[in-house]
Amino acid sequence: MATFSAEVYQNEFLPDGGSDVHAIVTVTCAGAGEAGHSGAGDAAEIVIVDTSGSMGADKIAAAQRAAEAALDQVLDGVWFAVIAGSHEARLAFPAEHGMVRMDSQARAAAKSAIGTFEPKGGTAMGTWLRLATEVFASVPGLAQKHAILLTDGINQHETAEQLSAAIAGAQGQFQCDCRGVGSDWQVAEVRRIATTLLGSVDLIASADRMAADFEKIMRQSMGRGVAAAFLRVWAPQGAQVLFVRQVSPTVDDLTARRTEVNALTSAYPTGSWGDEARDYHVAVRLAAKAVGQEQLAARVQLAIGPDVVAQGLVKALWSSDDTLTTRIDPAVAHYTGQAELAEAIQEGLAAKASGDTATATTKLGRAVQLAAETGNEEATTRLRKIVEIGDAATGKVQLKRSVDKLDEMALDTASTKTTRVKK
Amino acid sequence: MTCPSCAAEVAEGEQYCEACGAALTATPAAPQPDEPAGDETPLEPAGEHSQLEPTTAEPGPETTCHECGGVVAEDGYCTECGAKARSVRDHFTEQPAPWVAGVCDRGVRHSRNEDALALDARPDPGSRAVLVVCDGVSTSTDSDVASLSAARAARDVLTRSAGAGIGTAAAKVAAATQAFEAAVDAANDAVIASTTPGPGNPASCTFVAGVVDASLLVVGWVGDSRAYWLPATGEPRLLTTDDSFAAEQIAGGMSRADAENGPQAHAITRWLGCDAPDHTPRTVAVDLDAPGWVLVCSDGLWNYCSEAKDLAALVLELDHGSDPLALADALVDWANTQGGVDNITVALARIGAAPVGSSLTGQPEPQMKEGTDDGNVLG
Repeated sequence: MATFSAEVYQNEFLPDGGSDVHAIVTVTCAGAGEAGHSGAGDAAEIVIVDTSGSMGADKIAAAQRAAEAALDQVLDGVWFAVIAGSHEARLAFPAEHGMVRMDSQARAAAKSAIGTFEPKGGTAMGTWLRLATEVFASVPGLAQKHAILLTDGINQHETAEQLSAAIAGAQGQFQCDCRGVGSDWQVAEVRRIATTLLGSVDLIASADRMAADFEKIMRQSMGRGVAAAFLRVWAPQGAQVLFVRQVSPTVDDLTARRTEVNALTSAYPTGSWGDEARDYHVAVRLAAKAVGQEQLAARVQLAIGPDVVAQGLVKALWSSDDTLTTRIDPAVAHYTGQAELAEAIQEGLAAKASGDTATATTKLGRAVQLAAETGNEEATTRLRKIVEIGDAATGKVQLKRSVDKLDEMALDTASTKTTRVKK
Repeated sequence: MTCPSCAAEVAEGEQYCEACGAALTATPAAPQPDEPAGDETPLEPAGEHSQLEPTTAEPGPETTCHECGGVVAEDGYCTECGAKARSVRDHFTEQPAPWVAGVCDRGVRHSRNEDALALDARPDPGSRAVLVVCDGVSTSTDSDVASLSAARAARDVLTRSAGAGIGTAAAKVAAATQAFEAAVDAANDAVIASTTPGPGNPASCTFVAGVVDASLLVVGWVGDSRAYWLPATGEPRLLTTDDSFAAEQIAGGMSRADAENGPQAHAITRWLGCDAPDHTPRTVAVDLDAPGWVLVCSDGLWNYCSEAKDLAALVLELDHGSDPLALADALVDWANTQGGVDNITVALARIGAAPVGSSLTGQPEPQMKEGTDDGNVLG
């Protein structure tokens, strides 16, 4: 049985007239068990492989090995299907519309279906998502639905609106981890699918690493014994929740995914959970109270269905003691910097792509500075491939003349990954 | 042990966390096997006075929010407005009889309530009542415990002395004066008993009590907590003279307003506790010959309304129906809206029927018994 705990890191002291409360809430899950075994209902997996013409013989072969490796990780009894995607979506396995439970026979049959993939056609990811939504819906009572989506190209064979509609149709229906292989896909486009569907996005630079990556994703998914959980934020009457964002392991702004539980409580989907810890940054604006007064600024809870399984209390205490009120909590400072780092990288790269060198230099310079300040060495290493660093402390950089597209994409996809605060 | 609220280190037996001010006694804990759970209340004073009868205050933290009326969650905060639930020690009321009531409140600025209140009354309106208020000196660590044990110890002595000195008014006053000395001795012992041994600031508190016996009111005090007589007709009176630096300056000719707002306005010259130079109470007796209010309070109230005539006007404005509890509540709320800089305690006894209309008949002014130079010190 999974157990959850919540810890709050904040400076609860506010100066006279102060109104904004920031806190980092770490939610930890232990004893999650295996997917489909929590008693909430069955688990289901779909592997979606890009079989468009651009994949070519080598990438198709690698994708076939990756899909097979993923299926090897799917636990017996878990429902599954395989979709081959091009300008249209085709259910490659099972033969009949729907899903089957995994066993050795089904696994072998699925692998032989995967073996017939041939690279041809265009790319219309919206059709893939729509078919996956339908296939998942064909099995009643599924508690946990997860897909892996592999692509190598730009979504050329449908309109942006069609893709948006497909993403919207899939939202809340299943989670999707997305992977792009090579340098011909668009990070922003695939990130939009992944974040909306509560999944990760990453670059697979070379085809030979694909199988290991798929295996890891599927193993992780099978270790998520908690099918679905929601982060709930209660704020007092008259207060305003400024934002709610996940800040670890990746930065993901949840604010817009709010649904109302009651007048004072909002819920934000967090998908399924394995044994892991996630950090959330919650900011609430209160009506200031008199010095000496204390009040609760937020109850941050994790809820499974109607049950609250963990709660952290975010407090506000007005004080006239400057030594208390001017302190910034190290966790809040760290993650505020990391969130800004992700934004600076993404905006810097977007400016660079549009030819706005001045903005790109400023933003990426700021990113270098933030990466140094927050001790994010991975980000510094990736930034170093894009810019010449003059002085990290002041953010003085120059854009490199020739940059490998893959390095730029690696920086972009990894921009939301954060380092944990040193405690 | 650690504070359940902020996880700071706290010493065993502390009432409040020094780091965050959270009440350590108010957190739910497994009852001790040798103590019936019903006896365990944060209001129960420590030491030899723990045999006192339960008060009207309910044990445990409040379940209805004092700010908005919402439901208080298990986590100790309101489910609507987020206000922190008060512990009983932070805010409690007593009403031993319909005509006598008091409210003791933490105020706004202080993290804990070091004021205390202890009342006793017989049911018949105007028959007999004891109203005790003590104000813990906030520089010492156990003043909240000390003030409550002191108030209760004194209240019990004063209650037991009821009926002494039957006969002439002078005999009653003499008996009451003696009772006050015994009461303050008991209160002083209680303060010393609740002081943590060792170096540091010893617990200390002020004392004021009013004993109503039919038409006779005897007041005794040590420190700067006060008693007022606010008749519906006639001149409202401040009955006590503060044992304070400010009072000494007033005696020396400074105006009350200047002295009470000066830099050392709150420095008291006499108090209860092991380092008290002298705790003999000064006393005064008053003939309650008109309907009105006996009001006993801490400086948390009179800081905002010191002059008797101003307090009388305020009471007139806030009094609706002569309900002592409602009026005490209203006065405490009023002091909180003025800033609530200190703990606030107000105890009231309603004398005579509720005023009918506002016709001012020529009632005689209250008589001071055995008046001395400053008009109200006995013995």
